[in-house]
This record gives sequence, C-alpha cells and structure tokens, in this order.
Amino acid sequence: TVVERRRLGGPGSWPPSCRSKCGRCAPCKAVHVPIQPGRSMPLEYYPEAWRCKCGNKLFMP
Amino acid sequence: LVLVPLASSLTDEGKALMAIKSSFSNVANVLLDWDEVHNDDFCSWRGVSCGNLTMSVVALNLSNLNLGGEISPAIGDLRNLESIDLQGNKLTGQIPDEIGNCVLLELIDVSENLLEGDIPFSISKLKQLELLNLKNNQLTGPIPSTLTQIPNLKTLDLAQNQLTGEIPRLIYWNEVLQYLGLRGNMLTGTLSPDMCQLTGLWYFDVRGNNLTGTIPDNVGNCTSFEILDISYNQITGDIPYNIGFLQVATLSLQGNMLTGTIPEVIGLMQALAVLDLSENELVGPIPPILGNLSYTGKLYLHGNKLTGPIPSELGNMTKLSYLQLNDNQLTGGIPPELGKLEQLFELNLANNNLEGPIPENISSCTALNQFNVHGNQLNGSIPSGLKHLESLTYLNLSCNKFRGSIPVELGHIINLDTLDLSSNNFTGTIPASVGDLEHLLTLNLSYNHLTGPIPAEFSNLRSIQTMDMSFNTLLGSIPAELGQLQNLASLILNNNHLSGKIPEQLSNCLSLDKLNVSYNNISGIVPAGRNFSRFSPDSFIGNALLCGHWLGSICDPYPSK
Repeated sequence: TVVERRRLGGPGSWPPSCRSKCGRCAPCKAVHVPIQPGRSMPLEYYPEAWRCKCGNKLFMP
Repeated sequence: LVLVPLASSLTDEGKALMAIKSSFSNVANVLLDWDEVHNDDFCSWRGVSCGNLTMSVVALNLSNLNLGGEISPAIGDLRNLESIDLQGNKLTGQIPDEIGNCVLLELIDVSENLLEGDIPFSISKLKQLELLNLKNNQLTGPIPSTLTQIPNLKTLDLAQNQLTGEIPRLIYWNEVLQYLGLRGNMLTGTLSPDMCQLTGLWYFDVRGNNLTGTIPDNVGNCTSFEILDISYNQITGDIPYNIGFLQVATLSLQGNMLTGTIPEVIGLMQALAVLDLSENELVGPIPPILGNLSYTGKLYLHGNKLTGPIPSELGNMTKLSYLQLNDNQLTGGIPPELGKLEQLFELNLANNNLEGPIPENISSCTALNQFNVHGNQLNGSIPSGLKHLESLTYLNLSCNKFRGSIPVELGHIINLDTLDLSSNNFTGTIPASVGDLEHLLTLNLSYNHLTGPIPAEFSNLRSIQTMDMSFNTLLGSIPAELGQLQNLASLILNNNHLSGKIPEQLSNCLSLDKLNVSYNNISGIVPAGRNFSRFSPDSFIGNALLCGHWLGSICDPYPSK
C-alpha cells in the first residue's frame, strides 16, 4: 500500500485511498485514528495513523 | 506407613502454579480457587488455560487483579506456556531469569506494574516470542542487544521505564518488527541511519529520552513508518529534505534543538494527520505550501523563532482542528482566510508580533473552543461576530492594543471559562451581560481604561475563582452582592476610583484568600470578620479614608473588638 500511495519518483505522500479495503462494506473512507502509546500526560495528543472505516469498523489500509 | 498429603495429586505444573501464587500478595479474593486441597484441577483455576490434549498450562492471564508481590521463578517450570499476561497489577521485584525456560512463549505482557532491575537476557532465548510488553515499570539497565535474536518479535514496547544506554543498532535489522515503543526512558546515543532497515515497522516512538545527534539524512527511506515520534530529545541540526519521502501520518519532532528552516517539501506530505515541529529553534518563514496539507488535523509550530507572516494559504487546511503558532516572531496580520477553518478547535497565536485587527471572518470558525492572541500588537475593536463562537471556552486578547468598548454580546458566549481582556486600551463601562457567563472561572479586565461601576450582576458568576479589574478607572462602590461568590479565591480591584465601604458581605466569600482594594477612594472600616484578618495592610493601603489595622491608618490605633 505504501508503494501504491507514493507518487512516482518524487517526495510527498497521500492518504490511503481505502479502495476495496473494507471487504464488502461500503462506503469505505480513510480516517485518522489515535494510537495510544501508553499512559499519556493529560495535555498530550495521541499519535495518529490512517485506517479505513466503514460504519463503526476499522480496516488496515 | 507412607503419608500421602492431598497436595501430592498436583503435577509439577500445579506445584509451580502454587509457588507462583505464594509469591504474589493480595491474592485473598482473586485467587481463591487456586487451592490444591479443594480443587486439584488447576486447568479450571482463574486465569489458567490448558492445552486441549496435554492438560498443560498454555496461558496465564492475571491482568488487572491488583496483585502485589513478585513473579516467582517457578514460572520457568511452565514449559508449555505460550502467553503470560500480568499487566495492570502492582508486582515488584525483578522479571525472573527462568522466564527464558518457557521456550514456547509467544506473548509476554507485564506492563503497568512496579517491576525493577534489568530486562533479563534470557528473554532472547524465546524464539517464538511475538509480543514483549514491559511498558510502565521501573526497569533499569540497557536494552539487551540480544533481543535482536528473537526472529518473530513483532511488538517491542519498553516505554516508560528507566532504561539507559544506546538503542542497540542490531534491533534495526529485524524485518518483522512492527512496533517499537521506547518513549519515556533515559536512552542516549544517536538515531542510526540503520533505523530504516526496519522494513516492517509502522510505529517508531523514542519520545522523551536523551538522544543526541541529527536526524539521519536517509530518514525518508523509512517508508513503512506510519508514526515517527522522536520528540523531547536533544536532536540537533536541520530537518533533512529527505524527510519528504516519508509516508507517515504523525511526524513529531517537538522539543528538540532543531535549527534551520522548515523544508518546503513537508507541504507535499499530504498523508500527515499530525505535524508537530514545536519547541525547536527553527527560523525563517512558515512555508505557504503547508496550506497544501488539506488532510492534516493538527499543526504545531509554536515555540520556535519563525518570522514573516502567517500564510493565508493555511486557510486551505480544511481538516485543521489545532493550529498553534504561538511564541514565535511572526509579523503581519491575522489572515481572514483562517475563517475557512470550520473544524478549528484551538487557535493559538500568542506572543508574536502580529498587527492589525481580528478579522471578522474568524466568526466563521464556529467549532472554535480556544482562541488566544495574547502578547501581540493587535488593534481595532472586538469584532461583533465573535458572539457567534458559541463553543468558545477560552478567550484571551490580553497584552495587545485593542480599543473600543467591551461588546454586550460577549455575554452570549455562554461556555466561556476564561475571559482575559487585560492590558489593552478598552474604554467604556463593563457590560452587565458579562455577569451571564455562569461558567466563568477567570475574568481579567485589568490594565485598561474601563470606567463606571462593577456590575452587581457579577454575583451571578457562580463558578468564578479569579476576578481582576485592577488598574482601570472604575467608579462606585464594591457591590455587596459579590459576597455570594463562594468559589472566589482572588479579588483584585486595586488602582481604580472605587469609593464607599468594603461590604461586610465579602466575609461570606469563604474561599477568598487574595484581596486587593489598595489605591482607591474607599472609606469606612475594614470588616472585622474572621477571614479579613488574613489580608495584610498591602491589600488596603492607598485609601486615605479607610480605617484598618496598620501603621498610619486614619484611625490608628485600629478599634479593638
């Protein structure tokens, strides 16, 4: 998927397309998901990653 | 005659389990059924799982049971163990070396305990291990480089311990490793160019260590990374151009000593959900091309030495919810285009050199919760549209050159908990509607040119803790109704033109521990109420006609009770 997201040759990135990543579920959209790295300070944000979402289900892009 | 104790019916594994129980404490309620006398079928004991045919323990799950004590070396006798989950207890002592005898282990989770000592080298013998989670303990010593000998290790989480030494370079050559969590330790050394050999890794987190050196020039080769967090170390040098080849969703470089400018190429990294370059020593302008990041939700550039204007292109970052540009040296105006950021939750532009007015368009940021422009040279009046920002809880316009009156409509921003308009050139009277802000905790109107009375309606500010209206030209007397404010801890009214008496009712404010009415025209006698005795003469001086217990008071000596 990384290769798929990469523009040919140059730098830069793109959110995942999520095309056919949610099995038979539709619509399948790319969303930000917080990843909990453990006990976080209250004022810290969580790192975020992209996942594909359909309804309330998440799928790997 | 041979005495056969009941316990002898237990196998070696059953005995090992009883030994494990005996080195735990706080077991009374939770491991009641671990009782060889009444039930020697240890496969039915709480947290114990056995293999279908072997009747041998394959999993031990005793997470979140408030267990104290230590992990017994007897754990090494459970030779068929595939999974140990003891997370979320209060276990102390060391991880026993004998754990290395459980050669079938695939999962070890002893996170969220109080374990100390080194990570045992014997863990490297566990060739089936896929997950090792030791985070949130008090482990010391180095990361054993032999951990790299575990061929199937996918998740390695050693975060929030006190580990020292360098990150063993060999660890980077593990092609199956997916998650490397090392945040919150005391690791030293540099980031190795070898880190991009982790071709299967998506989570790389070394936040909050003592790493030095530069970001490797080839960092863009880490194309499998989704999260790259090297924040809060002592990383120096420029952000390399090559970073633009990363495919990450989160790029956290904050709290280092990075220098140079923000590379334009970052504006091409549209997969970024979070970009945090804050608290470094970055110089130069904010590249307008960052406006390209139309999928980014959080942009933190605060605490650098950035100069130049806020690019109007940032208004194209339509998914933005956090924009923090505070504590830089930005100049120019606040671009009206920021009004296009309908999802913006926090906008912090404080402590820059911004000029001009707050654009009316800001009132289109209807999701705005926190708005801070403290410490700039902004002027003009408060835009009337601000009242549409009904979600605002924090509004700080202090230390600028704003003028005009405080609009009555501010009282409509009903969720405000902080309203700070101090150190500006506001004139006119304080609108009574400010008293409608029933959730207000902090009200600061000090250092302006406000006149007229303190509205009696302030008695409706039920939650208020801090009220500062000092250094204005307020008139009239202190409203007796303020005596209803039960949470008021600080009432600062000095250097105004207030007159009349200090209302006795203020002694009903039981939380009040800081009062300043000095340098007004207040007369009468300082209330003798109990809580007034805690205020020093400094709270009252500069009122020529006020009688109180200090040297040189008009009525010296103060009348005794």
